[in-house]
Amino acid sequence: MSGSSWTRVRAVARRHAFVLLRSPHRLFDVVLWPLVDVLLFGSLGVFVARQGSGGSIAFGYLLSGIVLWHVVYQAQIALSTGFLEETWSRNLLNLMVTPLREVEYACGVALFGMVKLVMGVGVVALTALGFYAFNVGRLGVGLIPIIAVLLVVGWVIALFVIALVLRFGTGAEALAWGILFVVMPLSGVFYPVAALPGFLRPLATALPTTHAFAAGRSLIDGHGMQWGQLGLATGSTVVAGLAALAFLVLMLGTFRRRGSGAWHAPGPH
Amino acid sequence: MLDAHQLVKHFKGVRAVDGVDLVVRPGERVSLLGPNGAGKTTTLLMMLGAILPDSGWVRVAGHPLPKERSQAMGEVGFAAGYLPLPERLRVREFLHMFGQLYGVESLRDRIGTALERFGIAHLAGRLGTELSSGQRTLVGVVKATLHRPRLLVLDEPTASLDPDVARRVRAGLSELCDSEGTALLLTSHNMAEVERLCERVVFLSAGRVVADGRPASVASRFGRSDLEGVFLHLAEERPAGAQQTDRTA
Repeated sequence: MSGSSWTRVRAVARRHAFVLLRSPHRLFDVVLWPLVDVLLFGSLGVFVARQGSGGSIAFGYLLSGIVLWHVVYQAQIALSTGFLEETWSRNLLNLMVTPLREVEYACGVALFGMVKLVMGVGVVALTALGFYAFNVGRLGVGLIPIIAVLLVVGWVIALFVIALVLRFGTGAEALAWGILFVVMPLSGVFYPVAALPGFLRPLATALPTTHAFAAGRSLIDGHGMQWGQLGLATGSTVVAGLAALAFLVLMLGTFRRRGSGAWHAPGPH
Repeated sequence: MLDAHQLVKHFKGVRAVDGVDLVVRPGERVSLLGPNGAGKTTTLLMMLGAILPDSGWVRVAGHPLPKERSQAMGEVGFAAGYLPLPERLRVREFLHMFGQLYGVESLRDRIGTALERFGIAHLAGRLGTELSSGQRTLVGVVKATLHRPRLLVLDEPTASLDPDVARRVRAGLSELCDSEGTALLLTSHNMAEVERLCERVVFLSAGRVVADGRPASVASRFGRSDLEGVFLHLAEERPAGAQQTDRTA
């Protein structure tokens, strides 16, 4: 990346830092919802653990699951709402007529998204430790590659969402939040995919998150890293990432051909 | 500086731009005029790479669009009266962001100078939401000129400004173009403004170039005393018939 490219990436990241600072309600995503999630799944875990055999395993699955899920959630929400912010503030055309490249824009939003991710996941991990004495760090260094895969998966989902918004307009923006409610149960965040109805399992197996969470549960169970699952997670993430990029480039071309770049101009027609 | 060849664009079956050719030379001041719906904004946005033409091509400072869009846009400044400022940024922060996107050096000084040029240094600490529409337009013009572009593209730059502020904008633009040799391409519905600022006008009607030349010669070609008369004539009689050009005038 050239010096000027890096400057543009920083400019975008800085712009989104100001958005967060001046929009306290945006802190809900990185503070309040993580806190509520830990309370919900932590308390559920405690209740299940008190019911007898196997309960303590469920407790670990629930809390490690919600901590790791927030990696996907924060990465996805930061990138997709970062883009949506430009449509809400009608800044898209301003940016489109500068030297800023699409990839630089995405990097800038993702860069600041990392800050939000650290905040959000930090809140989840510390709340789990403080309220339920669950230390996600005890899973060891094996967490690092799992978190890396989940981070990229979050970005990949965001690229799909952005592409759909480019194609269908702001009507598709509900997907920024809604799509995760579909991915979450299919990914076996809190349970093995064997618990899903049979007809959904092939779909679940195709998701990179499913294999990443399976690798995480193996760490919880004390069986060490399942490299096969991690490899499947990484491979399918790469495939999904390439598909997302191709889809995004296609939708960006459609966006420009349809004249949608003139959003909020007084009508190019 | 800008070379657009046979631009065509359809929207929902309507031929919004119909074979527009336009060349803007370095330092030249050109106005793109025409009634509402003539295709001015679509033409401008195609020249900026924000909209892809159905056919035809555009080169900005020798860079073909969309292939070398990033390099091309480094040479262009764009402002439009209808573009808002991002709400959660102060004016200084907004200009700083765009200055970085254009790779401007000594940014703090440059922002100060640019704000002074248009008489709005006192707005530097204000949030976008605290500005009037006229003030937002002025900040947009400052943003467009911050990196000393070789081509300045302005879409209705004075549409929401009172006459005094509009005069200040024209003075600032004239000074900038004179001192930096910046080429200017603007749209406006204010014909008097165009006659003061631009040495050449291009009239569009129904997506086609119907006149191109010096303001006085274009007016006389249509048998009118000024551009206002030409504008009203085209608004009443569009679509115009055969193209009329006056490049040699």
